Amino acid sequence: MRALIAAATGLAVALALVLTLTAIGAPAGKTSPKPLLTTVPAHP
Amino acid sequence: MRRRASLILLALAVFCAALSPLLRWYAFPRLAKIPANEYQTMVLEAKNATLLDYGSMTARTVPKVTIVQTLKGDVEASEKIERTAGRDVVVWDGLSYVQGPDGKMVSKVPERYIFDAHTQEPVHATGEMVDGDQVRREGIEFKWPFLTEKRDYEYFDAQTRTTAPIHYQGTRDFRGLEVYYFEQTVPWTKVAMPRTMPVAGITPETVARTGTTRWYTTVRKFWVEPVTGAPVYGEEVHREELRGGTLLGGRAKVTAFAGHVKMREDYIEHTVSVVKSNRTLVLLLTAYLPWGLLLLGALLMCLSLHLEARARRPDGPAAAEPAPQPVTA
Repeated sequence: MRALIAAATGLAVALALVLTLTAIGAPAGKTSPKPLLTTVPAHP
Repeated sequence: MRRRASLILLALAVFCAALSPLLRWYAFPRLAKIPANEYQTMVLEAKNATLLDYGSMTARTVPKVTIVQTLKGDVEASEKIERTAGRDVVVWDGLSYVQGPDGKMVSKVPERYIFDAHTQEPVHATGEMVDGDQVRREGIEFKWPFLTEKRDYEYFDAQTRTTAPIHYQGTRDFRGLEVYYFEQTVPWTKVAMPRTMPVAGITPETVARTGTTRWYTTVRKFWVEPVTGAPVYGEEVHREELRGGTLLGGRAKVTAFAGHVKMREDYIEHTVSVVKSNRTLVLLLTAYLPWGLLLLGALLMCLSLHLEARARRPDGPAAAEPAPQPVTA
């Protein structure tokens, strides 16, 4: 019984971690202030 | 004590074993996406190209034609579309600016490309356009999906505003990266005049009145890193002609542009470096972490079973079962 509880705990923590990570996601950020180029840049 | 340690190891083993497929099959498709605020530039060059001199309406060979491509993510527009589309969307405003050897503008074609941030499938929303013309894209443009497959893809051609297959033609090595090589041939097709013409006073409408039409063909080549789906190198064998009408002074056709367009060396190096770094991030979620966690889970499970077995084993001779007592009558 104790082994079953330990296994279920491991599973629950893994699920919680993945769901939290995907729910948070990555921030969208802001639109770059840089313009669409009409000159040839010297370097990347 | 051993029993307790064994249970903790068991919980950790299940945690690792469960996290492995969850990361690969649940988290990765949701976490891997093109950022909405992406900004990138690309410089391509066509050396010894043929370019139309609009003054004399004759084609001449020039040392170099440069194409500057900018892609800029519009975060506000993507958030607005996401509210109705119900999925992560990227809105790219692009500009292909072509410059002649004298530094003067040859053409500039803006476009707005809207697509799913995870799958790169096009999303249809107001504002999707090429050079001011409303379009409805099918297929991909600029970038392949994450975990690109060895198969043909549908690729959108901005000049013809149509979609056609781009063929997978084998796996190659490009500067130490394994890449998939794709090629698409667009046959001679009548296309629209650019809205911004290189000579002041000439508009697509004035050219249309002369009866002259613009035709285009290209062979498009991409070397795509399959884990990220990002092209690390690209080339185009591009030809444009003006045909018929009074503008050509009785000639049937004149070359407007012909050249073998290639990425500039410093941009190739930069792109390869960026793609190598992004590749590691994608592999972390698709291979390194899932396989590592699975192995760690198996190891922890073995350790847990070993401790459990030792906990159940009798400690020594003192704990041995007592010898049977002699039976007395």
